[in-house]
Amino acid sequence: MKTPLALSRLLIGAACALLTQCSIPGKKSATVVPAAPTAAAAPAAAAPTTNPAAVPGDDLDALDDYAVIEISDPLERVNRGTFWVNDKMYLVLFRPLSKGYEKVLPKRLRKGIDNVFENARYPVRLVNCALQGKFRRAGLETEKFVLNTVGGLGGLLRVSEKFPSLQGIPEEDTGKTFATWGLGHGVYLVIPFLGPSSLRDGVGLIGDYALNPANWGVFWGGKHDWTMIPPSANTLRALPAQLSAYDEAKRDSIDPYIALRSAYVQYREEAVKK
Amino acid sequence: MNFRLTFAFAVFAPFLSLTAATSLEQAQARLRSAIDEVLALADKAKDRATLVSRIGPVLEKHISFAAMTRRAVGPGWRTFTPDQQKKATGLFSQLVIRSYSNKFTVGEHPEISYKSAAAPASGRVDVTTTTTYQGNRYTVIYRMEEAEGWRTTDVVIEGVSMVANYRSQLDPVYKRGGADAVLNSLTQSVANPQ
Repeated sequence: MKTPLALSRLLIGAACALLTQCSIPGKKSATVVPAAPTAAAAPAAAAPTTNPAAVPGDDLDALDDYAVIEISDPLERVNRGTFWVNDKMYLVLFRPLSKGYEKVLPKRLRKGIDNVFENARYPVRLVNCALQGKFRRAGLETEKFVLNTVGGLGGLLRVSEKFPSLQGIPEEDTGKTFATWGLGHGVYLVIPFLGPSSLRDGVGLIGDYALNPANWGVFWGGKHDWTMIPPSANTLRALPAQLSAYDEAKRDSIDPYIALRSAYVQYREEAVKK
Repeated sequence: MNFRLTFAFAVFAPFLSLTAATSLEQAQARLRSAIDEVLALADKAKDRATLVSRIGPVLEKHISFAAMTRRAVGPGWRTFTPDQQKKATGLFSQLVIRSYSNKFTVGEHPEISYKSAAAPASGRVDVTTTTTYQGNRYTVIYRMEEAEGWRTTDVVIEGVSMVANYRSQLDPVYKRGGADAVLNSLTQSVANPQ
């Protein structure tokens, strides 16, 4: 009995904590402020009524920026099935959980909890900075961690935001480290519960999981039930942002599966460059 | 000949860089005014429905939906008849306007910080901004082009290009069924309740 119990706890813990770091693109649900310019607002030129072919200076073939970024997807049928199941699970299980969490806890407290877990994720960032040879960034991460832990009441407050040099430090993860070492994505995967990923990033999630202190109790906490609390709490607190990002990528799509796949690949391409 | 070229370059180079700088400034200024206009609308809106109804006309003024649609469809666009192009542009603009409007939460005010502007090609400027919204910070690049004034042709959030994303969806549709299939897909997406 001992082994199955330990195994099931490990699996549940893994699922919980991995979901927290799930790679739904754009992790944060951005607000885009519509934009742009135009002088006299020329109503005649307003899009829907303009003859599209009349806009000058356009050469479709030269627009490499808009070429579709490819990822090998030989498992598309299976992935689409998993995508469908995940979608229903988010709807039936995770969304009510997420809404309940948002209703029960005030916004400021939720932000504080997010800060604590993000701060605690420091070893993931530090180790991956080091593995990629980004030692200056590792130093900044350490500075940020010490500041937030000591001056921010254990990470509850993000005091590091007051220092320009510590703002907007790009996130690091094991998948990114593999990419820096020259590994390609491999095949595209939709992981049950977790959503869009790739072979490379999926393996990377295991590294991130092991490096995240929120999950260390699962490995070293013995068979006490409390060990499940940090990973579960970490999952729960991350749900609103994750689901919001998922909804954002899916909304107004023509093919939600491809929309998520494209967003994921583009997001990771950009993350690796940082 | 070489002397003439060198001379011409020496004389005109400062003007060329001056023109480029002016373009950057113009594009960025247009973007600022557009964003200010949208934020003012968003701040005044009391509910989502009001926000959605007011934001559409502003976006139509500032976004080049024609260029956006053309690129979202990709090379297959050339096989569209003028009527099909017009219909596709109309449907795509409805999708984009709805998508934009849904990104706003009434009562939440994003902070925009303008970081840099670059001209990757003639008549094109990418303006990089940092948007802070609901406690999170995002890098948002506005791709702008000069066609009847500076207009936005794509928005790239954290590396995800909206146009590229739609192209990845529309390209297979076009390959399967041509222009009619693209129009059907767009019609269905617009009809889908959000």
